[in-house]
This record gives sequence, structure tokens and C-alpha cells, in this order.
Amino acid sequence: MGTTASQLPKDSLSEYQELTFLTKQEILLAHRRFTELLGRDERNHPNPRVPMQVILTLPELKSNPFKTRICQVFSTSEDKDGSLTFEDFLDLLSAFSDSATLEIKSHYAFRIFDFDDDGTLDHSDLEKLVNCLTGETEDTRLTSEEMRQLINNILDESDIDKDGTVNLSEFQHVISRSPDFVSSFKIVL
Amino acid sequence: MFSPTNFRQVQQMQAPAQFSGGSWKQKKTIFVRKFKSNAREFLYFFSLWGKTLQKIGGNFGGGVQSYFIFLRFLVVLNFVSFLLIAGFVLIPSIVFRSRYLNCLKYDPNPQGLVVFYEFFLDLLSGTGFMEYSYMFYGYYNNTVVVTSLVGSDFSYNLPLAYLLTAVFYFAFCLIFAVRTGGSDVRSYSMIVFTGWDYGCLGSKATKLKQRNIYYRLQVDLEEERLKKHAASLTLCNKVTLYSLRVLMFFVAIGLIVATFFAIASATTFSQVVCVKLASCKNSNVQGILGLLYTYLPSIVITTGNFLVPLLCDQIALLEKYPPSATVVVALLRAVVLRLVSLGILLYTLWNQIECHGSTDMCPCHYNHNNYQVNCWETSVGQEMYKLMLFDLLVSIALLVLVEFPRRMVVDHWSCKLTQWVGRQEFVVPSNVLGLVYGQTVVWTGALFCPLLPLINTVKFVILFYCKKITLFNNCRPALRTFRSTTSAFFFLAVLLFGWILALVVMIYSVAEIHPSFACGPFRSFFRMWNIVPESLSILPKGTRDFLFFIGSQAFSVPLFAASCVFMCYFIALASIYGKSVAMLRAQLKLVCVFLFITVK
Repeated sequence: MGTTASQLPKDSLSEYQELTFLTKQEILLAHRRFTELLGRDERNHPNPRVPMQVILTLPELKSNPFKTRICQVFSTSEDKDGSLTFEDFLDLLSAFSDSATLEIKSHYAFRIFDFDDDGTLDHSDLEKLVNCLTGETEDTRLTSEEMRQLINNILDESDIDKDGTVNLSEFQHVISRSPDFVSSFKIVL
Repeated sequence: MFSPTNFRQVQQMQAPAQFSGGSWKQKKTIFVRKFKSNAREFLYFFSLWGKTLQKIGGNFGGGVQSYFIFLRFLVVLNFVSFLLIAGFVLIPSIVFRSRYLNCLKYDPNPQGLVVFYEFFLDLLSGTGFMEYSYMFYGYYNNTVVVTSLVGSDFSYNLPLAYLLTAVFYFAFCLIFAVRTGGSDVRSYSMIVFTGWDYGCLGSKATKLKQRNIYYRLQVDLEEERLKKHAASLTLCNKVTLYSLRVLMFFVAIGLIVATFFAIASATTFSQVVCVKLASCKNSNVQGILGLLYTYLPSIVITTGNFLVPLLCDQIALLEKYPPSATVVVALLRAVVLRLVSLGILLYTLWNQIECHGSTDMCPCHYNHNNYQVNCWETSVGQEMYKLMLFDLLVSIALLVLVEFPRRMVVDHWSCKLTQWVGRQEFVVPSNVLGLVYGQTVVWTGALFCPLLPLINTVKFVILFYCKKITLFNNCRPALRTFRSTTSAFFFLAVLLFGWILALVVMIYSVAEIHPSFACGPFRSFFRMWNIVPESLSILPKGTRDFLFFIGSQAFSVPLFAASCVFMCYFIALASIYGKSVAMLRAQLKLVCVFLFITVK
């Protein structure tokens, strides 16, 4: 442990501090956890990329029902396979940190819930969202009748322009009325 | 170089200024928010039993969870209000007694060795060694500290402190209850978009949270379906349903009135018998029987409070209200029953204390012949203490003698009868009622028994663990659960009924009944309240005039008028905002439709 290649250079550290919402300690801790996930041969790589399966072994993400979507949203890989570089990882932690603003969090929450990446939450996105929330086991799955009723109610309440989907501003309007969204949308290492 | 494209895009969306070292305002808002969230986390650290509540909610639904949340709230309320009493009344009393014990000691008949069963009886009924102790009103002195003894210019008016602490205790409980009760109505989209807690770690906690959300959604959806179904009934069905409901309403009232008469006759019988035996408290021969006669009103009240809600539950099955309304109606009926029975008990106590003849017969201004000890405040305190203790003993006895055996019988002996009876179901309304009743008893007795909130805290903690044990071991999950947010609000509203009853009792005792001559901090006053004007009279003239002005009509009437004006203003503002929101929505729809047409 402690080879120079896996240490974070000082100017990078201050740059990351400026560009994210994380404090110095949080960035150093994130770097340590990220290096632990790397394979031995990848550590000397200039910009290592960790595959999604390995990221999902982190205890903070392991049991989260939205884990796959979180990795896909923050990933910058061309194959859209959900793999993360260290900077993607910092992006993730920054959005989920204590100091991130409501706008950032609601923007990322919207993207996480948008399962088909088309910029709006339509019927199928909402259905997948509700299934993630209630769990996929037999006794906690809503019946199709209940699901239809629920999604109609959600669209009635939040779809202001009545186009059948929830766009970003309508989503942010709902979120802004909730007092504890900011404190629940938090992942801390 | 580091160029997080996602991040830059999002950054440009929000604050225009550079992030680094730049806007001080941004740093300030971040600092304020961090401070607030740290404070909240600090308070969560003190929130008891958080994990237990999550477990209960995940396994039994939001309805049962709201009962335990209410119980936890009462534990905190009692403990904090006890700290208030301890700080202003108990600790000064202890300090003065221990410091000046030689000056204040006067005990011509010291008690020798006490037989064990007498000790036990005394513990249960608050007599004997417990009667003349910090427990009850009678032990406190009307000491106003004498500066010559202390040697400095320190004065502490203990009777005034006692009275004002009692008043502030009530005000504090009201404020605490109202503040905790502010619940937001959660719509479906709020639950779905903001319901998940991303800090939830571990697969077990995740599963519990998922089940929690599932129950909430399911309950709301079912209520909506029932409402739609009820709205779509034919006229004939509606008429039968409503007439049935009216009939059941009268049946419920009949039951309550019958209980009313049973309690009244039991109380009068108990008094008559006790007078015949010359005393139910101190006769050695009739130890247990005497205890039975003193406890007879409590026994009848508890039996009535146990049986009538059961019958009302059967009635509720016929009425077919939606689940939330059923809970509310059951709670209302049970509240009326319990508080009426408590009110009857208080009325009989008042009957014993008040003088019902000419003033020649009662030179002491209260009926001092009826009480052996001549200290009616302590007697009232003892009654409340007995009620509280009996309630706890009955709950524990029910647990041990009814619920556990029922589970054992159902599990190990399968026949048609046991299958039909089945395992216990945790009935929330009657349990909540028990809590409201217990808290009302404590509020009523707090003026006469300052240690009662502390004992009540201990009682509620024991009750929490007993109910938790019975829930997890003996109960099956409810087939239908009800909405927890509205019911949590409703529990607090019902608690306020009890608060009002206790407040009426306190105001009447303070303002209308003569304090005992033989004991307590107010023994030299005509009314307990009289200490306040007397203490005010030693204040300097300017302060006195100011206080009289605030209390006078010249100030309070304009204040009342001004607050009415403000209230009307805010109501008008709220309605205007609502109208403008609706109008904007309509405009938005129009614009979208127009765009759609032109684009096409």
C-alpha cells in the first residue's frame, strides 16, 4: 500500500475540491476506496475504469434497488456499460453528498428514474420505478390493476401540461414540495 | 485534465458565478444547510427505538407503526415535562428540606417496622409511607425562603413555583403536541419520487423499506377504490347502508350510557360500603377485601373500557366504512367512553370533597370529615396514581394471561374453533385509547402528585416493550391496514380532548376549591390562585401596573381584534394564491394546445 502511482497528486486534489461538492477528506477516502476496487495490474493505468459489477460490490450500493441505473447515469463510457472512472465516481459522490443543492439532486434523480433515457418519465418508466421501490418479490408486487391506477394518479398529480409524461420541470416541482428529499438523497462512504 | 462533462453542464444550469472561492453567498447557504442537517442528525441520534419502529412498519404496516410512534412521543413528552417539574419544584424542595431538616422536622409518631404485605398494599394504593413523601402534594411546604437563614439576598417562593410549574406544564404539553402534529399530506407522486432513502444499507433494511412503501401505496389505492365503489352504489343500497349506520350509532350511544350508569352505581356502592366498614384503607382484618372495595370503581371502569370497544368493533363490521374512517369512528367512540368514565370518577371525588351543606357544618370549607387524613389533594393524587398503576397491571396481566396462552392454544391445538378464533390481531384504536386515557389521568393528577409524570414515563417504557413483545410473538399481520398519516394526526387531536378535560379539572381546583389547612404549599390561602396576586403585590409599582395593563381589557380586546384581522388577511392570501395557481395551469394547458396546433 502507498505506491506513488496510487496517491492523489496535490493539484488534482485541489482541482477536484473546486469542481465538486466534496471536502478534501471525502475525496481522499473516495480515492482510497476506488483504488481498493481496482485489480493489481490496473493500478498503474493512467485513467483506470472499473466495470459495473465491481462497483456494485460496494456496500453502499449493493442493496440499493437503483444501483444499475446510478452506474449507468454517471458512466462516461462509450459502450454505455456502466463502468466508472475515478472522476465519474467523484461525480456520483458529489451529487449524493451533503452539500449538493436541490437542483443538482433533482436533476440526477430524474435521470436515474428515466429508465429509457428519453428525457421524460413515461408510463413504462414509472412502472419500472414503482417496481424498484416495492421490490420484485411476489408478495410485494402491485397487481397490474393497482399499477395502472397508481400511475394514472401520479400523472394526474404531476403532469401539468397533460402530455402523458413527467418532464424535468414537473418533476422538480413535485420534489421542491418535499422537505426531506435532500436528506434522503444521500450516499456517504 | 479533469473535465466532467456531466458536471459542467449541470453547473451551468444553476449558479452563474464561478464555483471556486467565488460567491460568498453560495458558501454561506451551503454552510447553513450543512449546519441544519447536522443538527437534525444530532436530534435523530436521540430518537429512541428508530430501528425497532422501522422493523414494525415493515412487518405490520404503517397503522401499527403509528401507534408505536405515538407511544414514543408520549414517553418523550412525559420525561421532558418531568424535568420541568423536577427543576422548579422537586429539587428546590429537596434542597430546602435537607438543608433545614432540623428546623422543619415534626414527626410525633414515627413508624416502626412495617409488615411486608402492608408495605406492598401501601405501594399499590399510595398510602402509608408513600403518602407523606415527595410523591404527593401534602409533603411540600409553603416555604418562602427566609433570607436570614441563607445569609444572602436569595428568595425562592416555593408555593408560587409549584403553581406556575403546573400551569407551564400544561402549556408545554399543548405546544409540544401541536408542534409534533404537523403532518404533510403525502400524495402518490411524492411517495414515489421522494420515498426512497438512499442511505439505507443492507438487504434486510432495504426489504423492510420496500415493504413499508408497498403497504402505504396499497392502502391508499384501496381507499380510493372503496370510495369510488361507495359513490357508485344504487340509491336503494345507499339508503339501507345509511339507515344501518344511524341504527348502529344509537346502539353505540346506548352502550356508552349503560356503562355510565354502571360506573356511577359502582362508585356509590363502594363509598357506602367503605363508610360502613369505617375505613377501607387501614383496617388490618380486611386487608385484601378493603383493597378490593377501594379499587371497585377502577375495576368497573376498566371492565367497561375493555368490553364496550369490543362490542363497538363488531358493530363497525356492519357499518362498512372505509378503513381510515373505521379507525376514526372507533377511536371517537372509545374516547367518549373513556373520558366519560374518568369524568364520572372525578365528579364522585368532587362530591366527597365539596361541602354540601351550610357553612356551619363545614368550618374548613371542605368536607374534612370524609377523609381520614384531612388532605384532599393528596387523596385525589392517590386516586390518579391508583388508576395509572391499575391500568399498567391490567395490560401486563392481559399479556400474560390472555395473549400468550391464546397463541399457544392456536398453534398447538388445531381444531375448528381455534382456526376460527385464530391468532391475535393488533387492534390499533383500542391501544391508542389506552395511551390517551393514561396520559389524561397523569395530566389530571400532576397538580396533586408531582412525581406522576416520571412514573408514567417508566410505565410507558415498560408498555412499549410489552407491546413490542406481544406484537412480534402473538400477532399476525393485519389483513387490512389503514393510512398512517391521517391517523397520526388524529391521535394527537384525541389527546387534546384529554388535555382539555385535565385543564378543566386543574382550573377548577385552583380557582374554586379551598386548599387543605393541614398540608401542602397553599395551606394559608383562600384559593390556590391567591398566591399569584399576593406575590405580585411585592413587585415594584411600575412592573405591577404594566402587568395589570396587559391583563386588562384595554389591552386584550385590541389584541384579539388585531389577531382576527391578521388571520383574515392570511386566509384571503391563501385563497388568492390557490386561484392564481389554477389559472396559471389552465393558461399553460392553453399554450401547449396552441403550440401543438401551430406546429402541426
